[in-house]
Amino acid sequence: MTGQYLPREKLAEALADERCLWSAAGEQASPCETIAGLTKPRSSLSPKGWLYPSLQSVGRYGDGPTSPPAEAQAPRAIVGLRACELAALKYLDKMLLDGPFQEPLYQSRRKSAVLVSTDCAAAAPTCFCTSVGGLPFAADGYDVNLSPVEGGFIVDAATDRGRAWLASAGLDCAAATAEQLAQRDRTRRAATEAVGGQNRSTGLQAVQGQSLGLPDDADPAWQRYAADCVECGACTNICPTCYCFYLYDQALGPKLFERIRTWDSCLLGTYHRMAGTTPNMKPTPRPRLRSRLANRVLHKFTYAPAQCGLLGCVGCGRCIEACLGAIDIRQVAGELRQ
Amino acid sequence: MITTDSYIPTPAKLVEVIDETPTIKTLVLAPAEPMSFKAGQFIQLTLPGVGEGPFTPSSSPSRPDRIAITILRTGTVTERLHQCRPGDVLGLRGPYGKGYPVDKLAGREVLVVGGGVGLAPLRALILALLDDLGPIKRLSIRYGARGMEELLFRREYDQWASRPKVDMRVTIDSPQSGWNGNTGVVTTLLKNLDMTLPQCVAFLCGPGIMLQFATQALESEGLRPDQIYLSMNRRMSCGMGLCGRCNIGPYYLCKDGPDMNYAMIKDAPNVF
Repeated sequence: MTGQYLPREKLAEALADERCLWSAAGEQASPCETIAGLTKPRSSLSPKGWLYPSLQSVGRYGDGPTSPPAEAQAPRAIVGLRACELAALKYLDKMLLDGPFQEPLYQSRRKSAVLVSTDCAAAAPTCFCTSVGGLPFAADGYDVNLSPVEGGFIVDAATDRGRAWLASAGLDCAAATAEQLAQRDRTRRAATEAVGGQNRSTGLQAVQGQSLGLPDDADPAWQRYAADCVECGACTNICPTCYCFYLYDQALGPKLFERIRTWDSCLLGTYHRMAGTTPNMKPTPRPRLRSRLANRVLHKFTYAPAQCGLLGCVGCGRCIEACLGAIDIRQVAGELRQ
Repeated sequence: MITTDSYIPTPAKLVEVIDETPTIKTLVLAPAEPMSFKAGQFIQLTLPGVGEGPFTPSSSPSRPDRIAITILRTGTVTERLHQCRPGDVLGLRGPYGKGYPVDKLAGREVLVVGGGVGLAPLRALILALLDDLGPIKRLSIRYGARGMEELLFRREYDQWASRPKVDMRVTIDSPQSGWNGNTGVVTTLLKNLDMTLPQCVAFLCGPGIMLQFATQALESEGLRPDQIYLSMNRRMSCGMGLCGRCNIGPYYLCKDGPDMNYAMIKDAPNVF
């Protein structure tokens, strides 16, 4: 189904039926808030936190009941995903599901959710998707895409799962008029120009799948940016593609233990630190903050294309918003590229 | 059915604790289910409630029911592992990593270079090669430790060297009363290598500084980077290529290593 028109109030009715699991307007958003969010810039939090929670039990071991309660999960919709967030999921799928081992919890939630995306009708001041090979509307990766137009949305159901979700939500659409389709295209062009315009001066223009030539993590040039970093980890937490984690165990009883997976941040000094104190045993390969900051940027722009053929940065600009030191990844990558 | 079993260790009973040196012990574990591994692959060893760490078994892959892990006391978890007693139940996950390319060594002269506790994973390689020396042309072992008392597996050297095609040379850092052998760091055993260099493949394991100087020594002897495999150490959590922290450039050591061909990483910073 492409080029169908769905009035706003019909979508509101459908969402009231609790089909929305995560909304760009917030996890607890009402249908009205969710729909209002569809025409705003991308939200401050990405759906990573729902698909890949920051703190999660991965199981128990020892003497005692070792099975935690199973997660009951009916397929439900993530509503209001942006093109950058779909790009982030494409990347996370590669990194967490395509290797010799799959991340089971991400896989479970990822596979059960219907992805309902929307075109960006407005850009956040830090948005820069067009600088990293993206656009503010999705070409693929969604089950259903909603393009905001006057009074409602142009609906594009790309998959059987998306069509089934529309049908189960009772969302029967009418054919869109030529004017509505033209309006969608005008909005897309305007958003693309807005994002491009606000980034013209950054000097960052990465090509999807290609490594951006950056100095290695031993280069002192990174110090210029690392001087402002306070090692808070906000950039990695807020990033829709950062997936690094750490496992630790906690005691549930004298001989029963629970293993917890928690997000970790490559900016933190403990991230790489190993045991060993003698000078011959180098406890960390990146003792300097500048090397760790470099490692994050290099992962996004150099290592990720080598690892999976995709850039690891989708240009959402959340790390710029979140950074206490006002470090702007557009500026870092733009100025250091060789 | 999605399961998270891959994160959870299998129980393994500690059946023997061997005091190897004043700082190194070998824990011999009997996993609840035999855990097959290739020489050079590593496992994650859990001390319940204390912590988990990656270790490459030092025992032969032919005994998946009895896995030896040789551990240098160097931090919180290894300190506690040294306090374990036979009968304690630990946990194992794995195996992870690629392992040594044992099946690609036919017709090659294999040079094994170890420093300190670095001989532990190399022992699995040595034992795997000793199981069938037929395909390889030669096995040369060069090993160095700080002092006589720190020589790991020293009761086995004569037995290894008595096999055809095998030669072994050992050194300690500085002279010691009662020691008649070589002194000096292990790189002193790598000068004027009497090996057919084009056929040589070298496997190195030891502290970073030893890897650095041994690699330099081998290169100056004429080995190409792609003839050198380095056993790399980085912090690891998952072991499965997911948690992110063990990278050297785009490679995750847990998935692409932990033994890396030097040609792949020689241009990366902070390798040693």
